[in-house]
Amino acid sequence: MSDEIAYATIRELGARYRKREISPVEVTRALLARIEKLDPVLHAFVTLTADRALDDARAAEAALRRGDGNPLLGIPVAHKDIYMTRGIRTTGGSALFAEWIPDEESTAVRRWQEAGTVLLGKLITHEFAFGIQFPGHRFLAARNPWNLDHIPGGSSSGSGAALAAGLVTGATGSDTGGSIRGPAAFCGIVGLKPTYGRVSRAGVMTLSWTLDHTGPMARTVEDCAYLLQAMAGHDAADPASSTLPVDDYLAPLRRGVGGVRIGVPRNYFFEGVDAEIQHSFEEAMETLRKLGAEVRDVRIPSLHAAHSFLLILMAEAFAYHERDLRERPELYGDVARERLLAGALVTASEYTQAQRIRSEICRETAEVLRDVDVLATPTTLKPATPFAVAYDPELGFPRSNMAPFNLTGLPTLALPCGFSASGLPLSLQLSGRPFEEGTVLRVGHAYEKATAWHTRRPPV
Amino acid sequence: MADPQGLPPHELTMDELRERIRVAGITIAEHRLAMVRKLLGDALAPVRALDSRTIRTVEPAVRFAPDSEGGGGE
Repeated sequence: MSDEIAYATIRELGARYRKREISPVEVTRALLARIEKLDPVLHAFVTLTADRALDDARAAEAALRRGDGNPLLGIPVAHKDIYMTRGIRTTGGSALFAEWIPDEESTAVRRWQEAGTVLLGKLITHEFAFGIQFPGHRFLAARNPWNLDHIPGGSSSGSGAALAAGLVTGATGSDTGGSIRGPAAFCGIVGLKPTYGRVSRAGVMTLSWTLDHTGPMARTVEDCAYLLQAMAGHDAADPASSTLPVDDYLAPLRRGVGGVRIGVPRNYFFEGVDAEIQHSFEEAMETLRKLGAEVRDVRIPSLHAAHSFLLILMAEAFAYHERDLRERPELYGDVARERLLAGALVTASEYTQAQRIRSEICRETAEVLRDVDVLATPTTLKPATPFAVAYDPELGFPRSNMAPFNLTGLPTLALPCGFSASGLPLSLQLSGRPFEEGTVLRVGHAYEKATAWHTRRPPV
Repeated sequence: MADPQGLPPHELTMDELRERIRVAGITIAEHRLAMVRKLLGDALAPVRALDSRTIRTVEPAVRFAPDSEGGGGE
């Protein structure tokens, strides 16, 4: 199969299916062969569901013959392995659940299935979406298709690697401190963290209740819009799920960015940023200006305290894992165990102060978003980290450009905006008002259409 | 909320870390103590640098509704 099919967009695949130029079964077989060839090096998949995929593809073919117009019919996807899949093991990237086969399905998985997607398998995640798999772990860590010596980001590491390598067309991710947007940035793809409450987390393993988000990952902004459309919406099984109606996420993509006001928070997000990333970001702003957007600097002063988000994450993660950590600590991976245990050391007062800081950051960000429609920042401070650095347990948890948007719950998109001299992808982050995913996607799509970064392919 | 610049740093000492571990009733391997100290110390730094009396008297709650004034927060 040609790269053309492996990297086809949802719109392109759908058009070719409906013209009967190619069938979902043919695409599925071709991708399974590509996975067999490439994944022994990339380690993106933890479980391959070839039989299920072919069954799904045949069902999609039948639906296409009946004239079903769902845009996701026959689209090959895979799920981050913290999304429960009925009858298919769901490991959480951990030895603790290495052979666990749930009898329930997460809501997002079910919604994509109902839309007619083809399930190729489950994608490796950092252990419980928190700790990278160190050498000797029960599961291998995924590698970055752009440079195998670098991490693909985390925790949706398999999702990022599989998309960049053309093994799937869409994937689920989860994002507690940047776990959709980080892999998107490091792998040169697109990831959307929707508004908190927009996409159900029911049936997805918890890391931190008040910071966890679920959302789509893809290779283009339009593909993210299609995938979001199918997974967004109220779900009574998720206590945080919003009852607001779901917007049309495709329609705004046609509108361009004329008159859109973009704010660049110059404090916090540029401290310690690589020169190449800063340069690519400024070029992206210039591109958006030429497309008709108004770009101006803004300030969100309280962001200086944003790293306290980690106190919230650690305390909530320990609460979730406490019993297993106390009774079966040996089943947690090295370092992940200690990082989770550290949550036991956060006092109630410190957790509360971190939540108060969060409220202040939310208030100030909301004030800024009265004057601008979208915030733009670099997604990460540096390109993908080498494994040699990531495996240093003393690395800690670096200050993040993504975490502020977990604190605020705002819809936030990461998309390619350049490459480093060493050939690693660089990424632009766009964030909007609550439940205005359409605006964020609209700006991202306009930028993407004006540039060619998303068309580059890794050397796999 | 006051910017903490200028306030003296209040680092997490190894003795304080050991005391917290004792109180929490958990075990952390000796060779991972430095890692945990850095992880927790970095996360605590913004809180410790803060005069909590300067934070607006808001509840530590977050709600997300598009019709809230300005949205995205309190």
